[in-house]
Amino acid sequence: MWRQPTGTMKQLFILLALVIGSTSIAQVTETFPVNGTTNKNHNTYAFTNVKIVVDPETTIDNGTLVVKDGIIIAVGPKISVPKGAVVYDLKGKTMYPGLIDAYTSYGMPEIKRMPVWGPPQMESNVKGAYGWNGAVKAETEANKIFTDDSKAADEMRRMGFGSVLTFQKDGIVRGSAAVVTLADGRENELMVLDKAAAMYSFDKGSSTQDYPSSLMGAIALLRQTYLDADWYKKDKTKKEYNISLDAFNNLQTLPQIFESTDKLNIMRADKIGDEFKMQYIVKGSGNEYQRLDDIKAANCRLIIPLNFPVAYDVEDAYDAANISLTELKHWEMAPVNPYALEKYVIPFAITTADLKDKKDFWKNMRKAISYGLSEKQALKSLTVTPAEMLNVSDKLGKLKAGMIANFIITSGDLFDEKTLIYENWIQGNPYKILDYNAIDVRGNYDLSYGGNHTVKLKVEGEPDKLKATVMADTAKMVASITVTGDAITLNFNPKDAAGTLRLSGNINANPLKFNGKGQLPDGSWISWSATYTSAMSADAKKDTAKKQAPTFGQVIYPFCAYGEPADDRDGFDKIINDFKNRYDAILIKHVTVWTNEAEGVLKNQDVYITEGRIVRIADDINATKMAYAKIIDGTGMHLTAGIIDEHSHIALISVNEGTQASSAEVRMGDVINSEDISIYRQLSGGVTMAQLLHGSANPIGGQSAIIKLRWGKSPEQMKFDKAAGFIKFALGENVKQSNWGDMNTIRFPQTRMGVEQVYYDYFTRAKEYDAKQKAFGALTDKAKATATPFRRDLELEAIAEILNKQRFITCHSYVQSELNMLMHVGDSMGFQVNTFTHILEGYKVADKMKARGIGASTFADWWAYKVEVKDAIPYNAAIMTKMGITTAINSDDAEMGRRLNQEAAKTVKYGGMTEEEALKMVTLNPAKLLHIDKWVGSIKVGKDADVVLWSDNPLSIYAKVEKTIIDGHIYYDRDQDEKMRIEIQKERARIIQKMIDEKKAGAATQKPVLKKQKLFGCDSMQENYMEE
Amino acid sequence: MKKLTFILALLTTIATAQKSTLIMNGTAHIGNDSVIQNSMIGIKDGKIVEVVDASKAQVTGTYDEKIDATGKQIYPGFIAPNSTLGLTEIDAVRATNDFHEVGTTLPNVRSLIAYNTDSKIIPTVRTNGILLAQITPRGGLISGTSSVVVLDGWNWEDAAYKIDDGIHVNWPRIQSRKYLDEDNIYPGPYEKNKDYTKQTNDLQKLFADAKAYNETDVKEEKNLRFESMKGLFTGEQTLYLHVNNVKEIIEAVNFAKTNMIKKVVIVGGRDSWMVTDLLKENNVAVMVSRLHDLPEHPEDDVDLTYKLPYLLQKAGVMYCLNNEGDMEAMGTRNLPFLAGTAAAYGLTKEQALRSITLNTAKILGIDKTTGSIEVGKDANIFISTGDALDMRTNNVTQAFVKGVSIDLNNDQKELYEKYKKKYGLK
Repeated sequence: MWRQPTGTMKQLFILLALVIGSTSIAQVTETFPVNGTTNKNHNTYAFTNVKIVVDPETTIDNGTLVVKDGIIIAVGPKISVPKGAVVYDLKGKTMYPGLIDAYTSYGMPEIKRMPVWGPPQMESNVKGAYGWNGAVKAETEANKIFTDDSKAADEMRRMGFGSVLTFQKDGIVRGSAAVVTLADGRENELMVLDKAAAMYSFDKGSSTQDYPSSLMGAIALLRQTYLDADWYKKDKTKKEYNISLDAFNNLQTLPQIFESTDKLNIMRADKIGDEFKMQYIVKGSGNEYQRLDDIKAANCRLIIPLNFPVAYDVEDAYDAANISLTELKHWEMAPVNPYALEKYVIPFAITTADLKDKKDFWKNMRKAISYGLSEKQALKSLTVTPAEMLNVSDKLGKLKAGMIANFIITSGDLFDEKTLIYENWIQGNPYKILDYNAIDVRGNYDLSYGGNHTVKLKVEGEPDKLKATVMADTAKMVASITVTGDAITLNFNPKDAAGTLRLSGNINANPLKFNGKGQLPDGSWISWSATYTSAMSADAKKDTAKKQAPTFGQVIYPFCAYGEPADDRDGFDKIINDFKNRYDAILIKHVTVWTNEAEGVLKNQDVYITEGRIVRIADDINATKMAYAKIIDGTGMHLTAGIIDEHSHIALISVNEGTQASSAEVRMGDVINSEDISIYRQLSGGVTMAQLLHGSANPIGGQSAIIKLRWGKSPEQMKFDKAAGFIKFALGENVKQSNWGDMNTIRFPQTRMGVEQVYYDYFTRAKEYDAKQKAFGALTDKAKATATPFRRDLELEAIAEILNKQRFITCHSYVQSELNMLMHVGDSMGFQVNTFTHILEGYKVADKMKARGIGASTFADWWAYKVEVKDAIPYNAAIMTKMGITTAINSDDAEMGRRLNQEAAKTVKYGGMTEEEALKMVTLNPAKLLHIDKWVGSIKVGKDADVVLWSDNPLSIYAKVEKTIIDGHIYYDRDQDEKMRIEIQKERARIIQKMIDEKKAGAATQKPVLKKQKLFGCDSMQENYMEE
Repeated sequence: MKKLTFILALLTTIATAQKSTLIMNGTAHIGNDSVIQNSMIGIKDGKIVEVVDASKAQVTGTYDEKIDATGKQIYPGFIAPNSTLGLTEIDAVRATNDFHEVGTTLPNVRSLIAYNTDSKIIPTVRTNGILLAQITPRGGLISGTSSVVVLDGWNWEDAAYKIDDGIHVNWPRIQSRKYLDEDNIYPGPYEKNKDYTKQTNDLQKLFADAKAYNETDVKEEKNLRFESMKGLFTGEQTLYLHVNNVKEIIEAVNFAKTNMIKKVVIVGGRDSWMVTDLLKENNVAVMVSRLHDLPEHPEDDVDLTYKLPYLLQKAGVMYCLNNEGDMEAMGTRNLPFLAGTAAAYGLTKEQALRSITLNTAKILGIDKTTGSIEVGKDANIFISTGDALDMRTNNVTQAFVKGVSIDLNNDQKELYEKYKKKYGLK
């Protein structure tokens, strides 16, 4: 959240933008030689008697607009028509500003994509003095590569658009965008603003370079680019010449537009913006209504598409099971998105982007209006809002003197279904779509021909696509009809004659009548005429159908199965931030409490929880005084601290940025996926917290995120803010790519020998970096200004944090040799591993670990899946515990994560741990390893109320979770779960019925295909984010 | 020293083979839903010769050896069906993997002869009470022929319990998922399988040809594939259809019916609860896929996989449990806990036990000789100090395969002892 600079600051930005983009509209390209005679035109055009919608706030009922040299020179109700003007009488017509699409690739060259598979590509293959990464294409300049595309322009013009923002949709930094008009002509004449905006995304586009391979890598790359560009600007020595960084710096004064392919990406982009004092305009994806509070808080302006999903084919019940509740609900609610944004007062423009078929634009726009979007807002979003966003509001978006003559002439209210766009004028040049002088011949007629035949004629359809039907008694015949100017042609097969009757004639406008001559099938000539009797009756029916306001279900948090509606939400009118506050206090009676403290297991206790904390544990707490508390009878049940999974990869968009030996700069916290069903499933297994780790693809992985499983909340709200920083390291087969196939033998290291050198190299550099940073930091501001600027390096910074004991290592590891190696590297470089994770041979070096105070997080009984786990034994945890090592049992698996209590129980079986010791392995011990045991991990007065109520001894296979409580709120409740299952069934059935109705009414449908949830383990390299 | 103990243990095994044994006063879980709180179980010549409720009757035979099992639990040996035990040693090392032959239709490929009785994994599995397994090949449209073995033996000949018990078909997927790279690391999105009809037609043709071939008296040329399928049509062998999706299950069952296959088992059967009537009507049993798995759809009941056995039990469908999946060989030792989970989610504990003993024996066609503690059956039984379906209490102190007390030591225990000694731990 970073607020837009106000007042002079903002004006300065605009001014700068104008200075840079000082290209003015030239109607004629002066510098070009002419072949033939010159044909300059300085005529004046006057449009009179027209209803002028000047802007969404102002309408002139009967006015005049005057245009000269492509510019509006006068608008108003009482404008005298200049002498010698070409006059267009537009009585009965309406005029709107030409629409603006703020997100297109109009006239951009096609992006060539190379096949991705092959050996690793560590470096950029862009030739020249550009930046190191091919996904940073700051040097792309849309104004230089734009070419007129009259076919694409025609399509946009027919929809009413007069100008667009256009840019090359390729890369994470996409360079500058230009505003151009949709007129046909020389590119030199079409440019409104050559440098209108800077464009960004999380998609590396056509770059074949390996890095970044993940969303968190993309974020890290962008952050580092900001830092590098700043350093480059300050560095006077310019030893490095870098076109990309130069260009990046030049982009910074422009409006900044970020593409988001999901609602959560808006918050991700905004976070980057906050860090670098940049407020992005975000191109949305259409599902913003699913997280309105957070988007509102991001305080950004949006550009949203109208890409409403097509209904699914749900007639086969088995196939329909493959459509998720998310997809069903989104199908129903997508059209409400613009209305929801309007209600929440989030400024937004509307784009035609993301539509599979651009022809759906107006259909979907009207749908959005029927779902509540106001016409005024719709017009704003297509005119003044995009103009303001792009700093062209002095030229486009309104019909005012001095502005570019972009306007459309319509038959009436632009948003009415029956309204026709007749003409689209761009830069003072007309593009005719329909002839407004054409007589609207639609209606019912009595047609008589040959003196002795009288039949009924019905003419309907669109003015440019007329349909005619002839009815004689009960017979119905399709007729072909063509209207050209005042001439009409009508052909049909009369039922009493073999062959086609061909009629030609004139149209008489007032009263509406056709008459002329025709030929019977036998060739004989006849006379005919048709008299208008009434308007079409179907319209009336349609109108009443339209007036019924659409109904739709509630937004649920998260927007998937087992999400819940926010309490007290009334449509989109209210903002309720903390909707999980259902109970202020909980009193659990007569329960067996596994304290994890010196008290051990206490029987028949009462536990009182309020305001997120454990407040009292006693033999008998008087319930009568707790009328406001939710009382839970815990007779026969067990209460434990919440399970903490030290090693988890759930709730993440991506896991590995394994393209380099170190990816210390990436942060799992950037890619938390709050909408992952795994969160709910793990709550059902008593998990309350998890360390979301980077994968094990490289020796130095990324920074961990430690979350509480606050199902329904946003990614940022899930983070446990008191947690210290952690980072993933990895050793062994994964980092040396042993099991990755023959292609992957290029990236260093490929042996355990190389792994050691990676660490020595990085820690040596990090030490030097840290010293430099500290020295620079110690300088006075004055000295800093003249000193060689310090280049911040996010990767080394993270490693330096380890040396400064601000960040702790969780290291994926297996065999004793490598464990020993890293301990030695630590000894000599001055750091200590915090936790060895997996560590299946920990029992072999337990004494060495103990001596250094290193903890362990292991599997209960895994082995035999690769060579380095050959000596893994299920007694590992027991030996390490007996040696005095803080030992945890982790999952590294979305399935096992919900049975961690059972995995802990295996240490009783293998190695004879006491039951209390066993339970600590998934509660208190991981809390200690994560340095959060001050707040969680045991049931103690004052600690966070993260507790689990079990039906049985928590270490028993027969134990089931009854309730999982985090911060004193119930996030999983077995009874509530039963109810939700029924609700989900009902909600699905309701929407499916609606889809079937739509299909019956003739709507298009698509086949359902199961999109399976992806589950991550350490080795996972696949990335959700690459899909679009 | 360690080696010596091991050899001694083996010698003891062989020596006790001749002895008759009486297991006294334990709680016997028979395997057929019944429990004898105070039991007397007599073993002679490898068979169970007496099962007596001590509170009601007396032991009639005399025995060389008596084991006091007071306070302990006695179970029929657990059976792991659909297992790659002994066909793999280390998942990531290709050289140790012998479960997937190249080719798509390989009914004649036999798992038995690749079964390695000396696999280091096997001793870690029987330690938890698993005494028999159906060794099953993987991959292709027809993976091959499985055999049932006991988990004790010098070689596969010794271990064989039921040779070539059935043929395994991987039913084609209606929707499938292709990998995007050569190394099968990057899975793509699910897509409709365009070859589905062709694949089912190919299967149909193969079965029709095999049937016709086996009904012809004079074979012009021998066809090993057709020959190997003979038992399917005579009823001597079982057709195992590996299939999960509901539509595929329906098609697979109809396929078996069309081809007049006498014994049909669905392996996996994730959606089998949706078509229980069809399964019952056609007498098709289900070998339920690993319970410790996640539901297919986000909106499914969170515990759908856990309660699948209960749903089948309630509907009256015959079923047992298997552990196919990631790291399946080493994970076989967790089979009892799959049954424990089924008990937590609807089954009685004795029904859950049945799902890894007598039901499995019935489905594999070995229930006449094993699967329960009943007179006349092979003495494949074990003693645990506590409830063997719960990891908290599973602690096997003695196990018998065909009446012989087997060695319960393994490499992992040895390493445990070695390092305990190193550190001076108790």
